[in-house]
Amino acid sequence: MSTQIKQTLVMTRVNFSTLPRRVAISLSMVLSIALVVAVLAGFLAMANGFEKALSSAGSPLVAVVLGGGTNQETGSDIPADAIRSIQSLNGDIGVARDGSGNLLASRELVAPVEVVGTQGLSSATLAFRGMDVSGLAIRDGIKIAAGRLFAPGTREIVVGARLATDFPGFGIGDTVRLGTVDWKVVGHFAANGSAFESEIWGDVDAVRAAFNRQGQVQSLRLRLIEPSSIAVLRASLATVTPTPLVAVSEADLYAAQSGRTANLIRLFGWPLALLMAIGATAGALNTMMSSVSDRTIEIATVRALGFGRLSACLATWFEAVALAVAGAILGVIASWLIFNGWQASTVGANEASMGFRLSVDRDVMLTAGLLGLAIGVIGGALPAIAATRLPLMVALRARG
Amino acid sequence: MTQEPFITLAGVRKGYRTGSDAIPIFTALDLAIPRGDFVAIMGPSGSGKSTLLNMLAGIDVPDAGSLKVGNYRLDQMGETARSSWRAHNMGIVFQFYNLLPMLNAAENVELPLLLKPLSAGERRSRVAKVLDLVGLSGREKQYPSMMSGGQQQRVGIARAIVSDPKLLLCDEPTGDLDRKSADEVLEILALLNRTLEKTIVMVTHDPQAARSAKRTLHLDKGLFVEEKRAA
Ligand SMILES: Nc1ncnc2c1ncn2[C@@H]1O[C@H](COP(=O)(O)OP(=O)(O)OP(=O)(O)O)[C@@H](O)[C@H]1O
Ligand SMILES: [Mg+2]
Repeated sequence: MSTQIKQTLVMTRVNFSTLPRRVAISLSMVLSIALVVAVLAGFLAMANGFEKALSSAGSPLVAVVLGGGTNQETGSDIPADAIRSIQSLNGDIGVARDGSGNLLASRELVAPVEVVGTQGLSSATLAFRGMDVSGLAIRDGIKIAAGRLFAPGTREIVVGARLATDFPGFGIGDTVRLGTVDWKVVGHFAANGSAFESEIWGDVDAVRAAFNRQGQVQSLRLRLIEPSSIAVLRASLATVTPTPLVAVSEADLYAAQSGRTANLIRLFGWPLALLMAIGATAGALNTMMSSVSDRTIEIATVRALGFGRLSACLATWFEAVALAVAGAILGVIASWLIFNGWQASTVGANEASMGFRLSVDRDVMLTAGLLGLAIGVIGGALPAIAATRLPLMVALRARG
Repeated sequence: MTQEPFITLAGVRKGYRTGSDAIPIFTALDLAIPRGDFVAIMGPSGSGKSTLLNMLAGIDVPDAGSLKVGNYRLDQMGETARSSWRAHNMGIVFQFYNLLPMLNAAENVELPLLLKPLSAGERRSRVAKVLDLVGLSGREKQYPSMMSGGQQQRVGIARAIVSDPKLLLCDEPTGDLDRKSADEVLEILALLNRTLEKTIVMVTHDPQAARSAKRTLHLDKGLFVEEKRAA
């Protein structure tokens, strides 16, 4: 072992064994780093959970046809004759067909509805989606968890499992007033925790009638034979109708939306966390400066014996990094305990409320933890240099 | 045969600045100490005894003039070079012992050996040897807080000589001790000078301590004013 390493080990031992003399200030450094880490982890977990909810909603095997020059469901409108032309298309257009040769398709529209939340105070705008019964089969991963599907042409609805737990009055058998009419809840569906679980689904014609949107179709969902079939579909669409229609895969549709909102969350979270990190770095600097002055006699003594500057420098820096690691671990654990799985909701697709669970996963922990570590690395650097500049004469004067 | 002195100070100037005030301590200090000498340095408080010792230890440097110890011109060496010079050429004994409280006696004594390429076994046997020399064998595992001042200072001396330097510098080594402990420490120093031929420079306020030395130099107002040879 080189003498340099041996010196550093001794100095590090001095650092850690004198730590009890600096409990309060060291603890404040650990806690402030933990706080920064937890805050950043919270925001990242939110963005992460949001992305997960939306990305699992979209399937690459579902094509969403939109009209009216938009690439979102909101504002999209597909004329009735265009629907008819598409449905009468023969041959391979990339879309799966049922036993009798009909396209697996669902005409859909979304009506925003106001619903009062559990507390009686917070009300939320939810998406009430009218669809053909086939809409369920077209989508991947949808299961009727309780009850049954709505019957075509009736004022029956099924609601997402998450929605049913978040809002009162959506139990099976309950009657809910949405728009101008009453609806009967006949089932709950699960959708792998995706954004769909925050939606209400009913028969397309019943929804159109209740919201005075007769004849309207916002999107036509089609079951693709395979993900790449969307190209065939696009080519076919161009020939059938003069109306410009776009076909996007449902996966892309939701990914684009989740990307925007998740980035917004991150855009808000990062500067806040960084600002707090600057404060925590100043705190770390202060803590480590007091650590250096606390160890003045020990450092000056061994330096007088011939120890090099590097050992005092590295040991100080190690202490800073060790405290930062402790803070980062504490912050990650706290954020996991507090945030992971926490139910949140936001305005998602279709300007409607969307529930999702915060997800503190490995990437979130790593990113937030590294920020905490950086605070120690940066905050400890200056004190580490200061430790090399101590006047050695104090060793002879000081009462040990 | 005339031998060149072990320690030579020539025209050493040293002062401190506090704010805008310059406090001169030495303006032109000359000193020669031969190899194997045991010098006590006395003088009123603030006369610059510790400042001189710090310069001899390579902890502080002269503002001007030359300072030579052995073959080394300490006044011309940078901090890193002096640091490694300290590790190999001198031992230092402090008034307040300056033992590291978290290390036991053996570990404290071992500190200077960590600067040398020695195996753990070699270090252990050297530590045992010097602890025996200062009469502390069997107390290797004791921590400073469990020892008397005299014992702590003997650990301090063991630490100063463990890497076998030619030069031993002591700043009021008995300043914090009772008479009996002080006499034990002085006896050890005299023994080290006599049998191991250590050159010792000892700053002290205690006339009785000074009597252990071969000669005593009196420092006042930045100059040596008188020299007294031990009888
Ligand atoms: N780092 C420093 N900065 C400013 N002044 C200093 C410094 N070190 C010593 N001095 C001053 O230099 C003078 C000599 O100090 P020094 O410690 O060498 O005296 P001393 O003879 O050892 O005194 P004592 O017997 O009290 O130990 C004193 O006036 C002291 O105040
Ligand atoms: Mg002094």
